[in-house]
Amino acid sequence: MPGTLRNTLAVAAAIAALGTAPAVFGQQAPTAIKIGWAISKTGPYVGGASITTLPAYQVWVKDVNAAGGIMLKSLGKKLPVQVTEYDDRSNSDEMIKGIERLATQDKVDFILPPWGTAFNLAAGPILNRYGYPHLAVTATTDRAPELAKRWPNSFWFLGTSTQGAHALVDVLTKLRTEGKIGSNIALISVADQFGIELATAGRAAFKKAKFNLAYDKSYPLGLQDMQPILTEAMRSNADVFVAFSYPPDTFAITAQARLLNYNPKIFYTAVGTAFPVFKQKFGASIEGQMGIGGINPQSQEFKDYLKRHAETTGGSEPDRWANPVTYASLQILQQAIERVGRIDRAAVIKEIQTGSFDTIVGKVKLQNNLRVDGWQVGQWQGGEYYGLYPENLPGAHKILFPKPAWTK
Amino acid sequence: MLPGLILGGMYALVAMGLTLQYGVARIMNLSYGEFLVAAALATFFLYTGLGVSPLLGLLIAVPAAYVLNWAIYQLLLVPLVRRAKNRDMLEVDSILATFGMLFVVQGLAHVLVGGQYYSYSYLSIPLSILGSTVALNRLIALLFAALIGLALYFALTRTRAGMAIRAVAVDPVSAGLVAIDVRRASAFAFALGGALVAAAGVLVSVFLTLNASMGVVFTTKALIVVIMGGVGNLLGALLAGLVLGLAETAVARLIDPGLTLAANFALFLIVLLWRPTGLFGGAAR
Amino acid sequence: MRAATAAYGMFGLALSALLAVVPLLVSGYYLALGISVLSYTVLATSWALFSGPTRYISLATAAFFGIGAYTAAILGEKLPWPLVLAVAALIGIAVALVVGLSTLRLSGIYFVIFTFGLTELVRQLVTWYEVNIHGSVGRYIFVDVTQPVIYWYLLALAALVFLAGWLIGRSRLGLALRVIGDDEGVAGHCGIDITRAKLTVFSLSAVFMTVTGAIMAPRWTYIDPAISFNAFTSFQTLIMALFGGATRLFGPLLGVVPLVVLFELLGAHFPNYFSILLGVVFMVIVYLLPQGVAGLFTRGPPRLRTVGIGARLAERIGRVFDRPQASPPPVAAADGEAVPEILATRGLRKAFGGLVAVDNLELSVRKGEILGLIGPNGSGKTTVLNLISGAYRADAGEIRFRGQRIEALKPHRIAQLGVARTFQLVRVLGSMTCVENVIAGLAFRSPAVWGGRAEQMARALVDRVGLGARAGMPADELTYVDQKRLELARALAMQPELLLLDEWLAGLNPAELNDGIALVRSLRNDGLSIVVVEHVMDAIRSLCDRCVVMNAGCKIAQGPPAVVLADREVVRAYLGDADA
Repeated sequence: MPGTLRNTLAVAAAIAALGTAPAVFGQQAPTAIKIGWAISKTGPYVGGASITTLPAYQVWVKDVNAAGGIMLKSLGKKLPVQVTEYDDRSNSDEMIKGIERLATQDKVDFILPPWGTAFNLAAGPILNRYGYPHLAVTATTDRAPELAKRWPNSFWFLGTSTQGAHALVDVLTKLRTEGKIGSNIALISVADQFGIELATAGRAAFKKAKFNLAYDKSYPLGLQDMQPILTEAMRSNADVFVAFSYPPDTFAITAQARLLNYNPKIFYTAVGTAFPVFKQKFGASIEGQMGIGGINPQSQEFKDYLKRHAETTGGSEPDRWANPVTYASLQILQQAIERVGRIDRAAVIKEIQTGSFDTIVGKVKLQNNLRVDGWQVGQWQGGEYYGLYPENLPGAHKILFPKPAWTK
Repeated sequence: MLPGLILGGMYALVAMGLTLQYGVARIMNLSYGEFLVAAALATFFLYTGLGVSPLLGLLIAVPAAYVLNWAIYQLLLVPLVRRAKNRDMLEVDSILATFGMLFVVQGLAHVLVGGQYYSYSYLSIPLSILGSTVALNRLIALLFAALIGLALYFALTRTRAGMAIRAVAVDPVSAGLVAIDVRRASAFAFALGGALVAAAGVLVSVFLTLNASMGVVFTTKALIVVIMGGVGNLLGALLAGLVLGLAETAVARLIDPGLTLAANFALFLIVLLWRPTGLFGGAAR
Repeated sequence: MRAATAAYGMFGLALSALLAVVPLLVSGYYLALGISVLSYTVLATSWALFSGPTRYISLATAAFFGIGAYTAAILGEKLPWPLVLAVAALIGIAVALVVGLSTLRLSGIYFVIFTFGLTELVRQLVTWYEVNIHGSVGRYIFVDVTQPVIYWYLLALAALVFLAGWLIGRSRLGLALRVIGDDEGVAGHCGIDITRAKLTVFSLSAVFMTVTGAIMAPRWTYIDPAISFNAFTSFQTLIMALFGGATRLFGPLLGVVPLVVLFELLGAHFPNYFSILLGVVFMVIVYLLPQGVAGLFTRGPPRLRTVGIGARLAERIGRVFDRPQASPPPVAAADGEAVPEILATRGLRKAFGGLVAVDNLELSVRKGEILGLIGPNGSGKTTVLNLISGAYRADAGEIRFRGQRIEALKPHRIAQLGVARTFQLVRVLGSMTCVENVIAGLAFRSPAVWGGRAEQMARALVDRVGLGARAGMPADELTYVDQKRLELARALAMQPELLLLDEWLAGLNPAELNDGIALVRSLRNDGLSIVVVEHVMDAIRSLCDRCVVMNAGCKIAQGPPAVVLADREVVRAYLGDADA
């Protein structure tokens, strides 16, 4: 029976493939620096991973190898980067297995993290156990300082939820002091870790700054009809609308707010606002819409990055928030390796903890493993997404206020 | 009220094809949603790349999907139908086979367009009707859903081919006895179901943000609607879709937006507890 | 057989011991692979415990798995680890009972999608609770449970699943599930408490799934509803079990191992084409291995084993069906009657929508008589049998069997009291042999017979209906007439006092008819009371002591066959006015 034969062959092939693990030439000098990652190439997380994380990885690998590789002083030469990648299928267990495979089977020199807050948190303990630096970029959590203590090899690049919420509150407080907005805020948030943490931190910060939450609801991930929520938010007559939202909802909220002609003085949406496809979809009508993240589009490094990004990914643009930071985190890794001069993960971790690095998002110096000076609030102005806050960052733009009417 | 109707109309639209595929051809098609997303993404590229309007896209996607699904039925599913001794076996086999198909279609979509979100604006013009504001594109989608649903309903109840299809849905064995070519009727129903899901894909693409991994969301919705309405019952699917849409909107407005999806599933479960074969279902199995 | 079983047992022990040392030898990736294989082995095997024999395809796996994971997340740092698992198991049982009770009326695809919807509902509710009450969706589980410990827990759990499955497979509970899977209606009339059988095994399988979730949770450190209630878990479990072969205990294992390895190979070598290749491989498997992997090694459904190692333990499991029973009162003759009544109905009524199938029917069956229930098609005869046997619930009226009211009882209770039946359209348990069919009649009656004695008695009954030569043949390979005989043997196995035969003699050729009549008569001579619904007038004339004639749901005549068949109204009912 052909099925029997085929099946036997398949099993035999499987065993053979598992048995013949790549031979290890421990004593020979390495010919490449092995980099690995397990990331969502399929499943629900692919939307975020394939805009923010994976392209940044690919651009970096291409850049490094185009420059001849990473300089290792101990060898006196540059070594190219060689990549092993797995698809975690947006499944937590697969992701962990993938990292374990990279660490123990492929014995890669460095592991780049998966996409998303949940997966970075889940990857934390294993990367810690195997002693790999953990460059957690796409993870925003208030527990970051605590986790950085628990896992000294982990580095958190986007700040905490509280930071994000406080930044927004600072921007709003200033506007209120100038008499431009009242104290009422309509707040909605997605019922996912990220949205909830931001909303929780936001509520506390708003309260402390004596703002009043005229409307405050969370909605489940995957909800497609935002109209009832928006109608209620509209009815609250607040000057400020804040949505701690995720990509598909950010799109739906924007589209439906425009439709309802819901035009508060401040219109803020979170993840997805900085996506290139967001601009592509809504064109000029999102003028003045605020969101999370931001960049300094004037910076030459970023302009160059845009070009290289487009070349590598077939013309697509990076998002204006975590994608450039992801690339920057890899620049930090590279510089740390070069300063250490050999593949010594403990020393590299130490260097990242203490060193100061030049990246496409400016100079980065981590404090207690946290990057504290990233863009927290951005705004679309004239077709570009500018960082507004912190105001002391180079390239900080002036706020466009009030948000202009939606264009039809 | 109107937004709820529009949402419900979308659910019904998404589910109509599955009613035919499962109710008549007895194929529990788990890759259903992938075909919807494929049609939606194709529309996106036709519109943004070539400037083909989505409504024109219907004319391309629907016949193409019909032919494709007809071929899939004849090539891939007929062997399963032939070897199945009874309905249970076909159900299990079709679940397994279409589960494989789900991965193939999704994988192809990923290779072709990657995993990013796709979204475009088309006829996103506000209209004020009965005190609520709705988007023209959603209204058009609803109108098309209603048109397609009506056309299908009349086709099924007033034409010979429709009669044959309904007979196969009720009892394939007896249908064979009265000289209905069951295989042909099933292939036709499956292909027509495929064409309908493509139409749904084109229509939802004008107002939803999608990526290549989201097919399963629609498969789920369609399954829930079809089962709640009663397998093979078009009116049941329409009604179930509308009820779910209205409930979702009402819960969001009156109780808590956080419970909308929970309310949807709870409603579905309660209906099944009350009527174990759906709103308009016949005997089980 | 005994030696083979012992060998299997030894092999199982040796294998477990061998597998137990794995974490000492390998770590990291291979250990992760081992954990993956074990967790899916437990999930798929426990899934198949319930869904394999009953053919109820459940997609609630992820719900139980997620509940376990959440229990671990909430209690992990508060209670000792084994206690956490115990609590998870209890919660699993509680949820399974609720789910089981609510899905009793559902079957087929409705059951499938219900269980799926349920998982989603649980996920949404947990999310809502976490957001609004707990104030955070994700939870961290910083418990000190290492990978080898997780592995060992899972290995122990897998061993338990196999032990449980093995014991159930040779117990009356296992037989009950297979009967339910073949024909739920027949199961009830065999005396099987369907609710109890389904709930017991469904809860058991849920316990294993829940505990698996609890054991796996610390592996992830961080869980949120999307991770724990991942619908993909349900699908993957189902696919692996079906691919391996869900009707055999070791079938799911044969699906889990190759598929986990396959996923790994494809994922490792073709990360960008994983989906396509997986899908293609999958479809190839479906087309080439219709019976699952287990089908390569064995043919046909598993055979019932009632004796051998574990039989005593299995016997205990079967006692889930036994209930203390008051001995029925002796049947006494009422005043002025020579022969006592065994069955009496009064004011019996049943309507389907607007159609009144049985209307105010008075009927009595005396002990030791053959009562013919006759009438034109659609006059309500079969409905009467369905009311007596409990398949339908009467709208009004009462039914007394041996003086006890039974109209509100479930079919299995009525069957256990001593009412057995056959069906108008013959209903045998197609996947089982003749002997197994009859054992199904012995094992759930009151008092039940099981083990070696059941096999002997079943063989004797198979012989009695003339199927001795085909005792080991699957019932669906029998001819129509032989299936009728088998159905009678199964009914007789119930040791009934009242036997309901629904057109049992229809479709027989003259020689077979004579044999059949003689057989039924011999049963009466053994002391049975029999109600026959029949159209074969010769049989009625020669068999029946009395006849009741029905038309349009009403009794229109009763008396000795010769008298009623000459009645003008009866003739009119059968043949219309012109011939009357």
